[in-house]
Amino acid sequence: MTGITEPSEFSNGPVPSDRLPDYRRVGLNPVARPFYAYSLAVTGAFWLIVLVAVAWMPRLPFIPFDPAPWSVFAMSGATIWFCVVAWIDARRRGWVVREHDLIYRYGVIWQKTVIVPFARIQHVETASGPIERLFGLLRVKCYTAGGMMADLSVEGLDVRSARRVRQYLLEQIREEADETDRSERESAENGQPVENDKPLDHESD
Amino acid sequence: MVSLWKTTSLWIMNPTDAHQWQQLAPLALVFLVIDGLQKFIRENLFWFLGAGAGFAFLDWLGPRELLLALAAILLSFLAWAIIFHRRFRFRLEEDAIRVRRGLFQKRELKVRFARVQNIQLGRPFYFRPFGLVRFSLETPGASEKEVELPGIPAELAEIMRDRVTGWQGGEPEEDQSNEETVGSHGIELYRAGTGRLFLHGLSSNQIWVLAGLVGWAIGNFYDHLESYFREVAIMQWLSEFGGPAWMVISAMIMTGLIILMLLSGVFSIVRFHDFRMFDRGDRLVGIGGLLDQREQTVKRDKVTGLTLQQSALGRLLGCWYLIVRQTQSGDQELSDSQTRFLVPGLRRDDHRLTAQITSEWVRPASLNPISLHFRRIFWLRWLVFFVLVLVALAILLGREHWSLQMTAAGLGLWMIGIQLRWRHWGWQADGDRIWVRQGFLGQQLDVFDLALVQQVRVTRSPYQRRHDLANLQLMLPQGAVTIPFVPMDDAAELANRALYAAETAVTHRV
Repeated sequence: MTGITEPSEFSNGPVPSDRLPDYRRVGLNPVARPFYAYSLAVTGAFWLIVLVAVAWMPRLPFIPFDPAPWSVFAMSGATIWFCVVAWIDARRRGWVVREHDLIYRYGVIWQKTVIVPFARIQHVETASGPIERLFGLLRVKCYTAGGMMADLSVEGLDVRSARRVRQYLLEQIREEADETDRSERESAENGQPVENDKPLDHESD
Repeated sequence: MVSLWKTTSLWIMNPTDAHQWQQLAPLALVFLVIDGLQKFIRENLFWFLGAGAGFAFLDWLGPRELLLALAAILLSFLAWAIIFHRRFRFRLEEDAIRVRRGLFQKRELKVRFARVQNIQLGRPFYFRPFGLVRFSLETPGASEKEVELPGIPAELAEIMRDRVTGWQGGEPEEDQSNEETVGSHGIELYRAGTGRLFLHGLSSNQIWVLAGLVGWAIGNFYDHLESYFREVAIMQWLSEFGGPAWMVISAMIMTGLIILMLLSGVFSIVRFHDFRMFDRGDRLVGIGGLLDQREQTVKRDKVTGLTLQQSALGRLLGCWYLIVRQTQSGDQELSDSQTRFLVPGLRRDDHRLTAQITSEWVRPASLNPISLHFRRIFWLRWLVFFVLVLVALAILLGREHWSLQMTAAGLGLWMIGIQLRWRHWGWQADGDRIWVRQGFLGQQLDVFDLALVQQVRVTRSPYQRRHDLANLQLMLPQGAVTIPFVPMDDAAELANRALYAAETAVTHRV
């Protein structure tokens, strides 16, 4: 179900698995340093608000709610826990642009690695909230077919690399599209492993 | 430019007219009104019947006012349909179809043939004597049917269908020559007999939807029903049979269920009557239906995968069904089953269809199981959870309380459920395509080309990291497919293979 190629030129032998480029062998770029602070600030602020709400609730005259004294301690513990997790998450987060795809890794307890081939990206955009802008951060969002679930948002890039990544992705998408047209016409050769082991150089700021 | 159609010229069609702006046939009004009313009722039924408020309102209103209100609703729909009909125009172009419509806001829509993945021709019974059909097109990613032309002459619809499916970005294909030898629709791949369709209805999950609706309706009308029952003295009649009350009640529930199942079987016959599937070179055609015969045409190169499915009851009855998968927007699967290309009533040996639909996709003899750790960790976790609940219940309610036994029984069922879940998961990579099975009481078998993978996600929990396992999720145009608890090396190899296939594929976009 992939394209139409002349039968004589088309070969489809199995590719040995050791010749396949392995996504695990690529080193990832860490996210921008300001993301650590941003992540900590957002998580901390959220849980602090909850903590303050729990602590202040009994003093409000119109709410007959009296939480047990230990709940404030529990909330403080939770705040610290989530801040620590956010910090570790920020340190572990990583991304890399290979020749044919984009890899993004995140998560502390559930560690996730997402890989999106350029050929499957339909649309790229950058976005940032007010707090992210304060820290000079930008998100790159990649949209693929297959509904909302299949969209990837790469967080934690500084403005410069985010713009560069978006630009690069857009160029790749265009090139892939051109190549598709050409290969459809000329029925390009298929079956050679793609060079996909070399990560793209990334200037760390 | 606008060619005004007179009623008399309805079924005399000159193909060259297709390139001019066309109107719908006047009879389309019937469809528009019926369709509009159906939607209106479906959307407002819950509001109307909710908590019996609508019923009380009806009692208060009185029959004459009710009739007036109904007439007003009907008239307003008719008025809407007439205006819609008057404003509606469509035109066939070189490589696209153009539609102009809109009640207050004019909208013009152009759909390129190359984008179309699914064409439906509907023949409702009231259109048939006039040679009219309902024509609709679907493109990938659209949440509803992109173009719907209710009430156009059958000849025109067939010309449009052939133009749309034949369009490959170059010359429209001429495959009329071999058509005569293989019949007007192509080579027949499959035909579902009435018996098979009935079985499909029995086993389809539709009966639970029906049961839910009936239960909900009974709940709402309970007061009315109760007084009715008292009138006919049903309880006395039932008690004459003797036997304990629970027996009578369960017998009634069973009877109700059997009636529902029979109904569901009959619905299935009406919906799919004389279902046939044809191979027509670059496209697949499915035809079936009694009151509204539907002909669905799918371009082969727009097929993104196949799903073989069997419900729990279908397992007992040996009844499968096949879904020809295409690019979908995420929420469509839940809401609209109308546009799905579904092949009902398959036997086990009809699975050869998968190989006929696509190039030699033969169901593998065996599948790789997922890791035993799946069962172990979920058994352990839920065991701990249930034991904690049991201890808490024993402390709070005493050791003799009935809820303890219930919880213990629940634990047993839960463990069996996990075992079933684990046993059903399986996968097998066969070159550049992969088969994935999952299920609980029923089962589902997905097959797709790795090259169509849109995104690969590898997720690992701490437990999985300890045991060198991973969950692999492959995002496809038709939705996500997950294989949990796969050995890490297998997951990585599958991921690498999928990426390689996607990145070297000749065509890229769906």
